[in-house]
Amino acid sequence: MNKRGGLVIALVVIVAAAFASTAGAGSSTADRIAAVNCSGTIKLPLLTPLTGGGGPIGNEQLSWAKYAAKSLGPKLKLKVQIVGGDTPVEKGPGEAQKVAQKFISDSQVAAVLGPATSGGVASASKSLAKAGLLHISPSATDSALAAGPKGKRTASPVAFYRVVGGDYVQGPTDANYMVSALKAKKVVIVDFQEPYSVGLANAAQAVLKAKGVDVTRLSTSVDTTDYSSLVTKVPNDANVVFFPTQQPEDAQTFGQQLLEQGKRATMFGADGTNNPAAFKLPGSYVSNFAPDISGIKGNAARIAGWKKDNPKASLGSFGPPTYLATQVEMMAIAKACKAGGGSIKNRVSVLKYIRGIVVPNSILGGTFRFSKSNNEPVNPKFYIFQIQKNGSYKLVN
Amino acid sequence: MAARPSAGPPPESIETRLAARVDTFIQLTLNGLTLGSVYALIALGYTLVYGILKLLNFAHGDVVTVGAFIGFGMLQLLGGSTDPVVPVWLLLLLISATAMAGCAALGVAIERFAYRPLRDAPRIAPLISALGVSFFLAYSLQLLFGSEQRDYDAFSMDNGALFFKGFSIGAVHIPLLRILVICAAFALMVVLWFLVNKTRTGKAMKATSFDREAAAMMGIDVDRVIVFAFVLGSALAGAAGVLSALRVPTYPSAGFITGLKGFTAAVIGGIGSIPGAMAGGLILGLAEAYTQGYISTKWSDLAVFVILILIMLFRPQGLFGRPDITKV
Repeated sequence: MNKRGGLVIALVVIVAAAFASTAGAGSSTADRIAAVNCSGTIKLPLLTPLTGGGGPIGNEQLSWAKYAAKSLGPKLKLKVQIVGGDTPVEKGPGEAQKVAQKFISDSQVAAVLGPATSGGVASASKSLAKAGLLHISPSATDSALAAGPKGKRTASPVAFYRVVGGDYVQGPTDANYMVSALKAKKVVIVDFQEPYSVGLANAAQAVLKAKGVDVTRLSTSVDTTDYSSLVTKVPNDANVVFFPTQQPEDAQTFGQQLLEQGKRATMFGADGTNNPAAFKLPGSYVSNFAPDISGIKGNAARIAGWKKDNPKASLGSFGPPTYLATQVEMMAIAKACKAGGGSIKNRVSVLKYIRGIVVPNSILGGTFRFSKSNNEPVNPKFYIFQIQKNGSYKLVN
Repeated sequence: MAARPSAGPPPESIETRLAARVDTFIQLTLNGLTLGSVYALIALGYTLVYGILKLLNFAHGDVVTVGAFIGFGMLQLLGGSTDPVVPVWLLLLLISATAMAGCAALGVAIERFAYRPLRDAPRIAPLISALGVSFFLAYSLQLLFGSEQRDYDAFSMDNGALFFKGFSIGAVHIPLLRILVICAAFALMVVLWFLVNKTRTGKAMKATSFDREAAAMMGIDVDRVIVFAFVLGSALAGAAGVLSALRVPTYPSAGFITGLKGFTAAVIGGIGSIPGAMAGGLILGLAEAYTQGYISTKWSDLAVFVILILIMLFRPQGLFGRPDITKV
């Protein structure tokens, strides 16, 4: 065979291989992954910001996911390893897609926790769904990610669920509180030009405008650190500044710069700023999907167990929903394992059981289950906290 | 029947609206001056090194961040912002001095190990080395201290005195912290000007900058002059790091954008020119503040780089720079 003939054959082989690989990926990535052996270690990756501004929140989530895997594993006869997948907020939502690809090709991965941020879900969800991977977010609240309050499914793939309510609950809860409790007549809303922030800002703005509140909308980017000139644009007579960011330090800086410029508007953060270590401006407010779980029946042992593993950490509100998401996923995996006779034939089989999962006495209080008509929890709620002089958060609604 | 006008707030008079606009302008100018003072200090570091070595020290922004971290460490050692063991003025002086000294030492180390061995290499080699040092510093900070933001919490110092004390121009409150940042930056610039123009070492720097080989032949210890330039530039970077972190939190990778802004300021003013670096920093700070205030926050970086492009197109040597004349 001459040199040219060899070259042509090599080219044909390469092209054929490329076609075969893309065809496989297009048809069903889920089917190409080998069965998961339930007696071995099953991996549950958690896609969350572990470094950068959102790092403290992500690490809190990771610690609770690990605790859930450790404490619930023996009961469910599963050996689960939680693997951190770092998606720093500063790298943008696209990072979740990159990290997700790594886990999609790992045959030990039976389901995914997260992505934690709304932008991350928007970016990675399609690939995860294509791979048949159930992914439950403990904190993504953008209304557009899942079916809305009327049970109408949106663009979200069916493999995505979340254990917390969407911004269609958070936005109105916050807005109603501003009007009814804070008597706000003029509100400034700052968005950060990313899905979480814009979605929540829109949801709150709609309610505020409907109630006749004068709303000024300002916009900035996630990498802004000095807000002086944005603060200058806040009218002197504004009552409230609604600041839905995922970086609580920024809310602290903005609030300080408001005071520095003699503006008396009350800072109102959302779930992304719910971090007592970073956002501690007395008199400000934050909302969150989780209540203070320490008073809920049955949580004393859970908190003590988690504290034992994380003695230096303080109890936040991002960890408990992650515990719940891990619990729900593990229960679905256990059912799939039982049905498969000790193995999960393919990842899609985990998805079959998710809607039937019921968690009595859940860590967030009451019984947890997903809605029958959509992929949201039943009766989601949001809670509002006021920051006290000592920096602690007090539940006020 | 004519509709009865709705009972709303009475319309503001022209005087009130004008006063509000003047206040906004003063506030934005203050914002710009604060930002610009820090940019100017950073730009001076670029310009000092470039003036003598013709090297773009891309690690300079990360030296600023290291300075902020050193200051943060010193602050914690002295009891933190809420419960310092020394008076606030001394606390600020000590954290600034430590950051400046630490950064000066770092500058010497960078020059000795990353640039001196490449002094006679093609110009691209030290440039790549500078980028390497930049990444090394940023990732070292991240590995050593984690990636979380570090907040000096100046708001808690002396019950918020730095934020609430000060004076007013019209309705605009000029807080002590901003006065401190602007005055400290200007004082350091004056000291630098004095060092460069009125001391023997400064004159040696000028001579080395003009012609390194001729300066060496005249008996000037060029190595020492270069080290001195790095000491000065890096010490100013340390001060800039502290002054900036007193107002906004810092984090390990903050040096990239800080450095870029400082470099832009140096280029606008004319890289190699000390007054140019000062002016470039202030122009950049004011441009950012006015764009954010009058146009949009989203457009501020765009405005900054548009100014840079315009300067490059119409006055490539920068506002205060001299065009390079090559003898042919």
